[in-house]
Order: sequence, then structure tokens, then C-alpha cells
Amino acid sequence: MRVVKDVVCPFCGCLCDDLELEIEGREVKAVRNACAVGEAKFLHYGKHERTRPMIRKNGELVEVSLDEAIRKAAEILAEAKYPVLFGWSSTSCEAVRVGLQLAEEVGAIIDHCSSVCHGPSVLAIQEVGLAGFTLGQSRHRFDLIIYWGSNPLDSHFRHFERYSTFSEGRFRPSISRRSITQFLSTLAERRIKRVTRRLLIKEREEGFYFGARRAPSGPFKERDRKLIVVDVRRTRAAKMADFFLQVKPNTDYEIIQALRMLIRDMELDVDEVAGIPVEVLEELADILVNAKVGVLYFGVGLTMSKGKHRNIEAAISLVRDLNARAKFHILPMRGHYNVTGADVVITWTTGYPYAVDLTQGYPRYNPGETSTIDVLLRDDCDAFLCIASDPVAHFPRRAVENMLKHPLIAIDPVVSATTLVADVVIPSAFSGIEVGGTAYRMDHVPITLKKVFEPPEGYLPDEEILKRILAEVRRIKGKAAEALVPAGA
Amino acid sequence: MATITLTPKYSFTVPVYAPCISPDSFAGKTLKEIGELEVWEGNRRKKLKQLFDIKGKTADTPEEITIKLSGNLWKVRRIGEEMTAGKILIDGDAGLHLGVKMRGGTITVKGNADSWLGSQMRGGTIEVMGNAKDYVGGAYRGSGVGMRGGTIIVHGNAGYDVGEWMRGGFIKIMGNVGAYTGVHMQGGTILVQGDSEGRIGALMKGGKIVLMGKIDSILPSFTIQDLKKRTKVEGEAVEGPFYVFIGDLTEDGSGKLFISKKSNPHLSFYERLI
Repeated sequence: MRVVKDVVCPFCGCLCDDLELEIEGREVKAVRNACAVGEAKFLHYGKHERTRPMIRKNGELVEVSLDEAIRKAAEILAEAKYPVLFGWSSTSCEAVRVGLQLAEEVGAIIDHCSSVCHGPSVLAIQEVGLAGFTLGQSRHRFDLIIYWGSNPLDSHFRHFERYSTFSEGRFRPSISRRSITQFLSTLAERRIKRVTRRLLIKEREEGFYFGARRAPSGPFKERDRKLIVVDVRRTRAAKMADFFLQVKPNTDYEIIQALRMLIRDMELDVDEVAGIPVEVLEELADILVNAKVGVLYFGVGLTMSKGKHRNIEAAISLVRDLNARAKFHILPMRGHYNVTGADVVITWTTGYPYAVDLTQGYPRYNPGETSTIDVLLRDDCDAFLCIASDPVAHFPRRAVENMLKHPLIAIDPVVSATTLVADVVIPSAFSGIEVGGTAYRMDHVPITLKKVFEPPEGYLPDEEILKRILAEVRRIKGKAAEALVPAGA
Repeated sequence: MATITLTPKYSFTVPVYAPCISPDSFAGKTLKEIGELEVWEGNRRKKLKQLFDIKGKTADTPEEITIKLSGNLWKVRRIGEEMTAGKILIDGDAGLHLGVKMRGGTITVKGNADSWLGSQMRGGTIEVMGNAKDYVGGAYRGSGVGMRGGTIIVHGNAGYDVGEWMRGGFIKIMGNVGAYTGVHMQGGTILVQGDSEGRIGALMKGGKIVLMGKIDSILPSFTIQDLKKRTKVEGEAVEGPFYVFIGDLTEDGSGKLFISKKSNPHLSFYERLI
């Protein structure tokens, strides 16, 4: 039995780097400090069905040598007129860097999962900027935390504990004790409901409720962190909030604009905005302007509801307005563990963060035209390479149908919906478990991934696979592969 | 007038970028020279003659040239880019970026047009008989300058973000529009004869939007100013009555929204504030 300390969890954008693993042979026996998903990722790491190198021949996937699969992938990409290279957010920055070289060589669109999650955030940031920060500041200084369209207790499990509400900061005490009291009172409330149901007493009907709920613990205490949640449903995070604003779906934009008006001391012509009384919004605006240091964390509930990047633009503008009255920051709750890294690497190389079109030899960027879903819906591409992602399981049906009309290459460590329907399958090593590398946390802090196990024989790192495909593409195009791969790449 | 006809030689499967299809590029060239102009078919550099059959008569100045395009042009992008004079007639649908940055001349589309129709245009006229998608007369990513002059007329519906970052010119949508019409608008006029999906004039600082059809609600960052019997658009009277809103106040804007009273009886509660 060996214990590996300070392991980085390759699951969500929190990139928790304090995990401890107890390992026996090639099996993880116990995981300490991780959330349920991080723990499961390591505990069940060896139980997945791993991919084998395969090529579709006469409609059937046939196992071939790794070299043959790589050769076939290179042939497809070299022949394609408008290929798309998609994925990247669950692999290391080193692999993304080689992916960019490949995209430039074959003349492809390179795009990653931002396109379907926080792409709108990027568009908005480009229009109005971003009052950013690192999560360390969040832990030590912030006294007002807002989650808008995000439920960290179901998506970024340790965000509460490490960086926001429950964290013990230098200048901010944890509110965990108060939250435990709140949690116990919720349990008591449920018990009472159960009893009333048993006694056949007709319960008060609790329909879809719009408006605000305040914590039963009453007014905020001085020096306490305050937690505000805005969501369309009463999530677990909302149950712990000091102030929960339940909004109708697709009305976030109106609410944010109304808040901006109130923060700027302007009067509204209406009595309610999207079903929320103006008095409630005034109360919320008061809490916001009275914060010492506040933060707005937003999730895909805001980026992918009606208005998309306009919602984020409004949210960032709200933070900008608040900065005239208080100190405020804003940060997207990035999903996949290295989606920020993919953004960063593609930006420092091409100048644009995602949906970069290199088909004409120079980077062009126009989400809506060069973003993967739009390319697929218009049926523009004629080959698709997917790495460290499973688009067949998650993309809209029509996009997947168009994707499957053309050759599909999948690079993945485990069997997924995409590898099952792909034309070429290339097995890879688990990034963050079998391969190290660099990943970026949601606040743009680079963190080094730890290699815990040696990959099985025949399972190469993504970076190595891409280098081999690149060399093969260059060979097909009649170029000297060695001469064109820069030293250290 | 010299007419040049372009017909695709085959059905395109990947995007074709052909900014050279404009009277300015064709002027003063022989048909052979026009055929040698460069286009991109996906990641392949091609010559115009490899993709299109080119027929007709050429002329020395763009004013004298009419380009007729027919066939499936949905994948052909950037037609008429930066044109200054002459005519383009498209018998069918047109792809993305039709007439972007154009300064003069006329483009007529018998079918539909894809997004970024007439983006950042400065002059001339674009008329689409069918529908148009998003960002009609809009700006490109990161740019704060949309349409600055000229006229766009869409006989059908238009999508989201019509007139985004618009600074001048006139857009007329005869059908319905999606949300965020005139977002970030700073000048110019938009006339919508159909309904709006909402959030009209968001973040606008100037300019004028006239909506004849229905809208669910006006953004809370606008304030009612007046009730007018009629208004004028491009010199012509449009009969109302209209609720007149000013905004977007969150951007210290003074743009004007003219919202039809007849089509929106649910907005009558604003009248008590006038």
C-alpha cells in the first residue's frame, strides 16, 4: 500500500489539488479530501472498458494496430476540405498545443467545449471586459457570494468548501456552523411535513414559486459571509442561501437590467419585473451595494438560457456598476477541468479563445459561423476529430446526424457513444491519472496534473498521439516531419 | 449595362469564401481574368472558374456591371464584400456575410439570406425577398461599429440582434424579428412591421426603433416619455399611435422606441405615467 499526496482531481474546473490516494497495485483503495465524483473517478478508474485501436471496415469496427489507426486518421484529415478538431477540455494544455499545430497543418477548425458551455461568457467578456480575481481572494476576503444559474453543490462540489461560503478565510470566518443549523432546520421542516401528510391534513399547495426566500436564521450577522442564490428552481445551494431569488426561466436579462437600474438609483416604471416585485429587487440591490467585497459566480443557467452572451454582458455590466459603490468581482463556473486551459492555450497561440478557423492558413474567429454546433447544423464540415469528449452523447440530434455523414475520428481512453460510432478509434491514456501535464483552474491559475499510474502498454498520451498524426499528415503532404516539429513541442 | 452570369458547376459541400464576386473586382477585367480570381473552397485555394461557369459581358467600371448568380449559393459566403457600385442579383438563397462592408450599389436576393447580412455596411441597398437570419446590419465579434449607412430591406422575418451596434442607415424588416433588435444601437433607424420576440433596444444609446407589431414587455431599463399619433421613418409618415420609450438608461442612452399602441393593449398601464 502506498499513499500519494497532493493529487490533482481531473474532474471539474475547481481542480482540487489536495487529494490523497491509497493505492494497492493498480487499484485505488481509498480517496481522501475528494468530492463524490472525484472519489468515484479514482476508485473506478480501472473498471472502465478501455478502447482499442479500431477502423471501420465494411460497416464494422475492426481492431487494427495503433500505427494503422493513426495512419488512417492522418489520411482522413489530410484529404478533408473543412475538418473540425473538437474536444480538448479534458486533456492537458500540452496536448492542446500539438492539436493547434495539427489544425494549422490540415487547415481545420479547432474548437473545444466552451462552444457549448461558457462560449457566450467569452463573447461577453470580449465586449465589456471582466473584473477577475483568483479563488484565493474569494476564500479570504469576499463577504458576499452570489451564485447565478449555478448549483455548485451538484456541479462543483468543493467550491463551497474550498473557495466560498464554507471556507475559512483569513478575514472571513466560515459560515458552516450556521449552515449546519439551517440544514437541521430543513430536516425538521421535512419531518413535520411527513407527519402532517400521515395525519391526512391537507397540505398547503406549494406550486412553482417565484420571488425571494430569506433564510430562517434572520438578518445577516456582521462579518458573516452572505450567500445569495438566483436560480429557476430551489436547488440544494438555494436551500442554504441567505437570500434566494427564484426567477422564471429565461427572464434573467430583465432581472439583471432592473437591478442595474436600482443600483444606479434610478426608478422603474413597472411594479414587478418578470414576476418579481420591485421591492424584492430593491432589497437585493441594497444587499449588493452594502457588500464589502462581493463576487458573482455564474453558470450555464445564465450562459445557455435565452439571450446567452447578452445575459453575461448584462451580468458583467452589473458588476461594473456595483464597483462604483462597492468592490465586486465576477467569474464563470467553468465545467471540465481544463476547459480554461484550452481557452488559454488557443488564445496565446491564435489570439482567439475557441471556435478558431485555420482553414485559410490564418486564424479567423466568428462563433455562429466557426463554432462546432453551427458548423454541424449547416453541414459544412467533411471530417470530424473528437478528442477527450463525447459529442455524440451530448450534441443536438441534427448536429450528430450531420457529424456521422462524414468520417469521424475518436481519441478516448474509454468506450463512449462517440467511440462506438466512430470510423477510427485511437485509445489514449487517462490525462490526470496516467499522464501528467498542465491544466488551468477556473480562475486561470495553472496547476500541474499528477501522474498516479503508468498507462497500460499501447495507451499513449494524447500529446504523443497527436504528434504522430501530425508527423503522418506531414509525410502525406510530402513535408519533412522532423524539420517542422519545433524543438520541445 | 454589362451582365455577367455565374452558375455553380456543382453542389458545394463545404463553405466557399468568394469576396471577389463583386462588381468592383470584376470591373476592367476580361472573362478569362475574372475566372482566375481567387476563392477558397474549405481549406483549398481555388480559381473562380473552377467553381463557377462564367458568362456574359464585362465593363470597365463597376457602375456598369450587373452580376447575376443562380443555383444553390447557401454555402457561398462574403458575396459583394466591400462593393461600391453596380448590381448583384441572386436568384436563390445567399450564404453568410452577404454585402458586408459594402459602400454602394444594390444587392437583391430572391430567396433567403444567412446571418451577418450587410454587416458593417456604409452605403448602398440590400433587398431580401425571403427571410434573413441573425445580425442583419450588425457588427463582428469584438467590434463596436455596426452598420453606418445604406439601406437593408427584408421582406420576410429576421433573427436575433438586428442592427447590433448600428450607427447609421436604415433597416426595414417587414416580418417578425427575434430578440435584441437594435442592441447597442447608437444611431440610424430600424422599422419592424411584424412582432418582436422582446428585449428590443437593449443597451442602446441612440437611434430609433419603430415596432408595428406585438411585444410582450419593454425592458425595465426604458422609461415611457410620450404617446405619439404618428412618427416619421426615412421621410415617410408611419401611422400610430405609438408609446415612446427612452433608453437604455443603464447605458445612459437616449435611444427611442416607438411601440404600436394598437398591437400592444397590455402596455396601456404605462399611460398613467405620461
